[in-house]
Amino acid sequence: MRRLVPAANPLVLLAMGTLAIVASFAVRDLRTAAVALGAYVLAGALLLPSPRFALARFAAIAVASVSLVSSTWWLGGRDLEVALTAGLRIVVLALPGAVLAAFVDPSRLADQLGQRLRLPARPVVAFAAAMQRFGALRETWGQLDRTRRARGYGPTRNPLSRGRHAASLAFALLVSALRDAARMSVAMDARGFAGAQTRTWAEPAPWTRADTGLLALGVVLAAVPWLVR
Amino acid sequence: MTGSITLRGFGWRPLGRRAPVVAGLDLRVEPGERVLLAGPSGAGKSTVLRAVAGVLATAGDGDLLGEVETEGRIGLLLQNPGDAVVAERIGRDVAFGLENARVAPDAMWPRVRAALEAVRLPYGVQHPTAALSGGELQRAALAGVLASRADVLLLDEPTSMLDDANAEGVRRCITDVVAESGATLVVVEHRLAPWLDHVDRVVVLGRDGEVVADTDPATFAATMRDDLASAGVWMPGVPAPEPVEPPAALVVPHRRPAPTLEAVALSVDLRRTDMRGTVVAAALREVDATLTPDAVTVLGGPSGAGKSTLLATLGGLQRPTAGEVRGLGMPPHRMRSRALAAVVGWVPQNPEHGFLTTRVRDEVAATSRRVGVVVDVDAVLAHLGLDRLADANPYRLSGGEQRRLALGAALAHRPSVLLLDEPTVGQDRGTWAAVAGWMRAAAHGGAAVAAASHDSALVSCADHVVRLADGRNAVPAPRVEGAR
Repeated sequence: MRRLVPAANPLVLLAMGTLAIVASFAVRDLRTAAVALGAYVLAGALLLPSPRFALARFAAIAVASVSLVSSTWWLGGRDLEVALTAGLRIVVLALPGAVLAAFVDPSRLADQLGQRLRLPARPVVAFAAAMQRFGALRETWGQLDRTRRARGYGPTRNPLSRGRHAASLAFALLVSALRDAARMSVAMDARGFAGAQTRTWAEPAPWTRADTGLLALGVVLAAVPWLVR
Repeated sequence: MTGSITLRGFGWRPLGRRAPVVAGLDLRVEPGERVLLAGPSGAGKSTVLRAVAGVLATAGDGDLLGEVETEGRIGLLLQNPGDAVVAERIGRDVAFGLENARVAPDAMWPRVRAALEAVRLPYGVQHPTAALSGGELQRAALAGVLASRADVLLLDEPTSMLDDANAEGVRRCITDVVAESGATLVVVEHRLAPWLDHVDRVVVLGRDGEVVADTDPATFAATMRDDLASAGVWMPGVPAPEPVEPPAALVVPHRRPAPTLEAVALSVDLRRTDMRGTVVAAALREVDATLTPDAVTVLGGPSGAGKSTLLATLGGLQRPTAGEVRGLGMPPHRMRSRALAAVVGWVPQNPEHGFLTTRVRDEVAATSRRVGVVVDVDAVLAHLGLDRLADANPYRLSGGEQRRLALGAALAHRPSVLLLDEPTVGQDRGTWAAVAGWMRAAAHGGAAVAAASHDSALVSCADHVVRLADGRNAVPAPRVEGAR
């Protein structure tokens, strides 16, 4: 069971994430919110290899959710139920996609986009090559952070200073990523990518029964809040 | 037979530059020839390789002059091993060129496996590229070139970012592969000695990209040695240059005496959390090390031994999992950034990650302003040979210039503890002398200086060596009595 998601077709994972958006539209009150979220959490608990990772993703979304709850509460007539529903709706909308996106293998996604959906090969391959660099960004972030600290430009305990620090790191990371991309495109073009208007694919883009099953599950999960309304 | 290169009146003028990098270059390489392309930094060696590989326009806009003709399939290996990685798994990465050449999938995999075997990578095609070391990545890139059955192999400093053992492994792979396939070879490197036995022709470019010598390796070594060594090229049989020490006023610590920094039973776990769960890797295990004032200490050992992690932990940039760093009055990782910077100067391995401003002059002044130390910026720039670039953007400098600037930016405020991470990798002799000189002069002035390095020339300048292997002390480090 726990191998299903890591082995799944990337298109199915993206579809399940997108279907969660449909589910979030049905969240009108606390009851539907609890049912929709409960269904996703149950599915996640059964299918995901590591709940810890899903929790880490949840933490990021919780920030957005909490800010939405507070602003809805202040601006929306101080109705706690309305505010909480709005916050949970965001969690239903974003959490499944945020968790599942992490299991998408860039090469396999490119195989599916290029061979099954017949999208133009060059942008698809360039996109996949860029995606597999995501992991390296964390390392660069760490390096940039260390340098700033060693040179006296690290943040103080003040939250404002920490926010400014993060923004400055994000900008430096962007610059560094652009420079990496320029070097990478030289390497790719030197390997025949420049002239490859059409290309072959080293691996097939299969669709298995498990993929159909997962997609069906995604539809059911998205339908749950609509059915209990 | 295929695999020839012809350049006629070749030139390249990057967009926005008045003078071309290379002009009027005539060069003919016959099929099967093995050529070493030498010359000082900035002679346009990389430009020539990129032109032959047909990727000059990808690397940046500019005007191409003259003609470039090639015959046969071209393979290019770049300096930074990570740049060429396009896929998460080795097999897919090696197959990239074959996919672009529209080879049928069934025919691909035998070629991919054969190429991986030829470069002696013992992993399966499903092995993640993220788990490969620098040397292994470079061999994987070579496998990609091999699988495409390149007739011409172009190497742009393929080993300059690797330690000696890994560099030797990659070099042996390349020479074996070339001997086997009979491919044409063009190599650009700073360290020429290891290649001279494997090439049959040496072409030397001058400062403006003109051919100043075109000869066989033996004649080359006999006649050009001293000229090139003084131009910054590492030549066989020429000892490391004398470190060029800056004036004491630029390096004597502004706070004295310098502390003795002591790592006691230091352990560091590096954790990475991803979708497959949390992976904990032990980077250091109960390591002892002492950095004393008035001395240069080199942290040595093979790649992956934990040298950089130890350096960062000593400098308060990495929290230890167990053990402690003594000497600064409190654990350095808990110090405020500004207080830490006043005592410790850290030079990162990749200089590009260290720049905070958009002007060379501001870069050197930034930390001193922050910690309240007055610095003669012009004198620092003059010593580092950057005085004419004072108003340039740090990112526009060449690799060696960036390295020297990173040194000045991290150390100009005269900290009493100097930590340098692989400061000499891939550098020409001029930069090497500036780095080694700064370290020596700061130590003479009373600072505690440490470098993580596998450069044997730098080790020979050291007063103490702490050797690591697999995250542990290779030999127990002697504790300094009475140190606090």
